[in-house]
Amino acid sequence: MNTRAHSNRAEPILSARGIVNRFGSQRVHDRIGLDVLPGEIVGIAGGSGSGKSVLLKTLAGLHHPNAGEVRVQGRRIETLVAAEKAALIGVLFQQGALFSSLSVAQNVMLPLREHTALPPSAQEPVAAMKLALAGLAADAAVKFPSQLSGGMVKRAALARALALDPRILLLDEPTSGLDPITAGGIDDLIRKLNDSLRITVIVVTHDLATLFSICSRVALLVDGKLTIDTPEGLRQSSEASIRAFLSGPRAEAAMTARRH
Amino acid sequence: MPRAPKTFPASAIAIEAHGARIAVKGSLGVRTLPELGEALASRRDQAMPRTIELGALSELDTSGALFLSSLRARGVSLTGLRPEHRDLVELIEGLELEPLPKPRSLPRWRELVVETGRGFDAAWRDAYDILAFVGRAVNAVGRALTHPHALRPASISRHIDEAGVRALPIIALMAIMIAVVIGYQSVAQLRPYGGEDFTINLVAVSVLREMGVLITAIMVAGRSGSAFTAEIGVMRAREEVDALEVMGIEPMEVLVVPRLLALLIALPLLTFFADVMGLFGGALISKALLDVSAAQYFDRVRQAADVSDLAVGLIKAPVFAFFIGVIGCMHGLRVRGSAESVGTETTRAVVKAIFLVIVLDALFSVLFEKLGL
Repeated sequence: MNTRAHSNRAEPILSARGIVNRFGSQRVHDRIGLDVLPGEIVGIAGGSGSGKSVLLKTLAGLHHPNAGEVRVQGRRIETLVAAEKAALIGVLFQQGALFSSLSVAQNVMLPLREHTALPPSAQEPVAAMKLALAGLAADAAVKFPSQLSGGMVKRAALARALALDPRILLLDEPTSGLDPITAGGIDDLIRKLNDSLRITVIVVTHDLATLFSICSRVALLVDGKLTIDTPEGLRQSSEASIRAFLSGPRAEAAMTARRH
Repeated sequence: MPRAPKTFPASAIAIEAHGARIAVKGSLGVRTLPELGEALASRRDQAMPRTIELGALSELDTSGALFLSSLRARGVSLTGLRPEHRDLVELIEGLELEPLPKPRSLPRWRELVVETGRGFDAAWRDAYDILAFVGRAVNAVGRALTHPHALRPASISRHIDEAGVRALPIIALMAIMIAVVIGYQSVAQLRPYGGEDFTINLVAVSVLREMGVLITAIMVAGRSGSAFTAEIGVMRAREEVDALEVMGIEPMEVLVVPRLLALLIALPLLTFFADVMGLFGGALISKALLDVSAAQYFDRVRQAADVSDLAVGLIKAPVFAFFIGVIGCMHGLRVRGSAESVGTETTRAVVKAIFLVIVLDALFSVLFEKLGL
């Protein structure tokens, strides 16, 4: 489980160095470093308001840190042109961020239309395939985002994030607000995509089940610092605040669930 | 897996044809797919290739795998696939793929009939809703006035400030401008008859009776009616209105009544202010076009218009205020769930409020004509 990383190269596909983010006088990130190897699933965890989502936005190049740099495949993220970035990074936003004026299929086809020369007749089968890959039936394709349930929104947004087969998938709370069965389905889906497409996944979550069941490493954000280790390693950490996050009855339940 | 490091997925594809077999090399992905599609289409006259050699394929993504699996379904054999690429093709083949359903489309004429029917149905429901809401609003305002402890003076004064005081500059500007417009048009039309002096009568009477109150009402509908809808609508979308109800606090009493009362107070005052500014604008235009001094101008105004003209304008103000407020609040409470419905309801509220103001104004004109005012 810990050696899920598919690559034998040590070169990280995404690396963050010395990230500092300040809001007013509050230092949310204090010189954070994170290296993600190709094929890994890395979880980013932390308490509410600890700056997980800001970190994800920083990694996606949507937020410019006060200091530090993010590199994707060794290149600074600011230097990537839009089409390159779209082909390298897919983001699943917390609320899905599906365009409400477009149907699900049109949402998935939008990146294809913008960034590829595929004719419309060829875009539709590709969109149908992405939706099937994300676990949505074809009849969901003509629906509009307002007609979808929470789980379907996440799946449709995931299908859109996969539209250009990005190398890196950034997921912001993919299972939040979902019932346990749907959440488990999303976890399985992430693992399946990682297995079969070799996509590198960075997932922000405070769903302990997700952290324990799919992540090869977890980066825990506490007081602006990142502690990176395997889930087991973090549970045996010498620091009480880290142990506290990953133990307790909920964590035990999540661990037990994982073993089955 | 030796994936070429640092290659960007748009890297190239090479297609070599040897009769019934072709070899595809390089990267087969969503960006290079059109090229392969074209290459196959251009040889369509020679029929599909029998085999595709894929041993030299360096990259394959899901779109490429989908294309390969569709070729395989048409009897083309794929040779030399690398294990990881074969896994991907098999994964795609394992999906239950159905073509996307086409959105149901009606013939044009039926669409027109359906839309017309929907439109009338919506208009009918709207009229019913407005009537029902007017009833509830009158009831709530009446109860608030008879039980003064239920009044919320802080909220009322905040809304008077927002809807009234802050609107003063723009109302002043618009009233002066409208007087200037009327003045210019009148002078141009009356001069050939030597009646340009009557410009003053026209400006004074039309500002006092119609333009002052109309401009003010339209401005307030745009500024405050929309604000009412948006404020209440956002509260509705965030379930704040439901929270009030659960706490036993009547949303009509805390959200609607203070806004209605504030508009009922602010709009007549604003109208009077617009009348004054309109007459002032008339003085400016008379000085500029007719060379009539301010003293002479106000003398003429006193002859041309009397208190009844002012009253005819002012009496309409509370009626307009009531309907602008009712429509703004009603559409705010109609917001359901999503944030986008706040936008559509706001648009509807403004359009409907301005429409109603003008319809009511026309009705008032007929009424005053019959009454001989």
